[in-house]
Amino acid sequence: MITNSQRRHKIIALFLFGFSLFYFLGSFRLKMGNLKNPGPGFIPVAIGFFLVAFTALYVFRVLRGPSSTGKKEMPPARDKNYRAIAGILLCTAVYPFILEPLNFIFSTLIVCFIMLLLLRPGKILFSFLLSLAMAVGAFLIFARLFGVGLPSGFLEVFLFRIGGPT
Amino acid sequence: MVEIAQGLLAGFATALKPLYLYYALLGAILGTITGVLPGLGPLGAMAILLSFTLSMDATGAMILFAGIYYGAMYGGSTTSILLNIPGEAASVVTCIDGYKMAGKGRAGAALTVAAAGSFVAGTISILGLMVVALFLSDIALRFGPAEFFAIGVCGLLLLARLSGGSLLQSFIMILVGMALGTVGVDFLTGTERFTFGNVELGQGIDFLPVAMGIFGIAEVLTTVEEKESFQTVQKVRIRELLPTGQEWRRALPAMFRGSLLGFLIGLVPGPSPVIATFVSYISEKRFSKNPEEFGEGAIEAVAGPEAANNAAVGGAYVPLFALGIPFTPAMAMVLGTLMLHGLTPGPNLIKEKSDLFWAVIASMYIGNFMLIVLNLPLVNVFVSILRVPKNILMPVIVIICMIGVYSVNSSLLDLLLLAVFGLVGYILRAEGFQAAPLILAMVIGPMLETSLRQALNITGGNITEMIFRPICLSLYILASLTFFVPLLMKLIRRGKKRTPAHRERVLG
Repeated sequence: MITNSQRRHKIIALFLFGFSLFYFLGSFRLKMGNLKNPGPGFIPVAIGFFLVAFTALYVFRVLRGPSSTGKKEMPPARDKNYRAIAGILLCTAVYPFILEPLNFIFSTLIVCFIMLLLLRPGKILFSFLLSLAMAVGAFLIFARLFGVGLPSGFLEVFLFRIGGPT
Repeated sequence: MVEIAQGLLAGFATALKPLYLYYALLGAILGTITGVLPGLGPLGAMAILLSFTLSMDATGAMILFAGIYYGAMYGGSTTSILLNIPGEAASVVTCIDGYKMAGKGRAGAALTVAAAGSFVAGTISILGLMVVALFLSDIALRFGPAEFFAIGVCGLLLLARLSGGSLLQSFIMILVGMALGTVGVDFLTGTERFTFGNVELGQGIDFLPVAMGIFGIAEVLTTVEEKESFQTVQKVRIRELLPTGQEWRRALPAMFRGSLLGFLIGLVPGPSPVIATFVSYISEKRFSKNPEEFGEGAIEAVAGPEAANNAAVGGAYVPLFALGIPFTPAMAMVLGTLMLHGLTPGPNLIKEKSDLFWAVIASMYIGNFMLIVLNLPLVNVFVSILRVPKNILMPVIVIICMIGVYSVNSSLLDLLLLAVFGLVGYILRAEGFQAAPLILAMVIGPMLETSLRQALNITGGNITEMIFRPICLSLYILASLTFFVPLLMKLIRRGKKRTPAHRERVLG
């Protein structure tokens, strides 16, 4: 019977092989040049070739079973917080899309609040207040203290002016 | 010698300026905190702070990072001794006997010996760094592209062998890193490679989002995987900190041996501080008059490895300063910082930016002194950081990573790459792949490509001429030996096990 972990190994191995193949084939679009005058595709083709060879070997090993990869099968994971992992990843992926339209404080507040809720479920007010403190604190530290240029609206401009010019 | 003394004096004059003292102190404190926190090692801290060093000058940034690196080594030993939790990988060995010593009521002595060992090792490795880096950079000035290509190839081969885990997986990671390094406009011909028409990708994939994703976000994801657990933190009284005369007599030689070993191992590519601690532990046990005490609270087993991991830090700076090639992921961060500040690391750096080199060396002395003064009295304060719930700490780290990445180029693509490489790092970690070879190959890859193409141009495509140059040939032979001898030994051992005589012996 195939365990979840074995299935995962196979998917990852096949993904790596797919990536290698994609890179290798893509590198042929570039000019190779010759040994005297190597072109922009010279190194990518070489990298692609070895990448395909090594990942193919890896796929072969994984498909042959756990003993051939040298990995011991881990006991099934207990109590893993997959919801939090997926949530944090989603927050990191969504942040670039909301950062400029919503500006720094509001977008950071949303992302932080969701992450805290996922990690401390049930503590809504606490999570909101902590997120607000983090967003405002981060803005003051990074924008004012370190001079980092962050997307700003009226709230950020107001906060930036507190305490006079830097 | 006079040159070294003059350089060092000038370095102290720079490093003792209030602003640089502040950076050294900040680095030491931040480093200790990251060393104390399990998971978040010096690399994570450097990755997070890399973009914020833009508001400093190059010297300040280098001083801050040196402090973080040393501080993390100090901090890691604290939790190993008091809680049996290695703050970072280089402190795993310290757990074995350090925690046993704590159990016997000698936690204070173990902490002092670890701190003293780190201080002695720091000082010795800085001396080594000064001498070896100056010597090597003088020689490296005569190196051509063929030699730099040979150094890069040897570095990557050794990295694959030493970075732990499966050799095949390490090679795949190196090649993926090199593939990522080829994205962007080819600097020689102006041809776009793997940009898919994206203007931002034309500048290449930035090292920062990849490093922060793989080391920062992936670390957060791995940490939140498990449910919250609270640590009972043991208190250490100041008066318990002093080791006895007998303990000092046993610890001091181990510190010196560990320092020497650590420095030499630090010169080799790979996770040198981690390897140094294991080698030091094994050699201390072999040379000890009381090997039976190892594993039960032997003070040499704390002093040696702790000295070794700190000395390896100094050793790791040598190839970076002398050749401009990073051999550890942390040094890749330092290289990234230098490049962010418009400096090109290489043999000329020490000559052209001698003020920076000597200021960093001097600040390492100062940082080491600060660490020993700070860490022992404040040990309870640093350990209490572990009481901050990780479900509050982790969102903070994610936010810092995101702001850090955005602040360098104000690029939304970099933020997306951070998320992508966070996921990639998390999956690869779960699959047993090492991230360090990927990061290093991504940095070394473009250097290798440049050197190879220049060397082929110069030699008119004559590969034998490239290989049979004296330095290149020696390097290739050395790398082949280091790479293939362990493989051969393994095959021979496996062959022996299959002989009928061996089977009979085993089965009785």
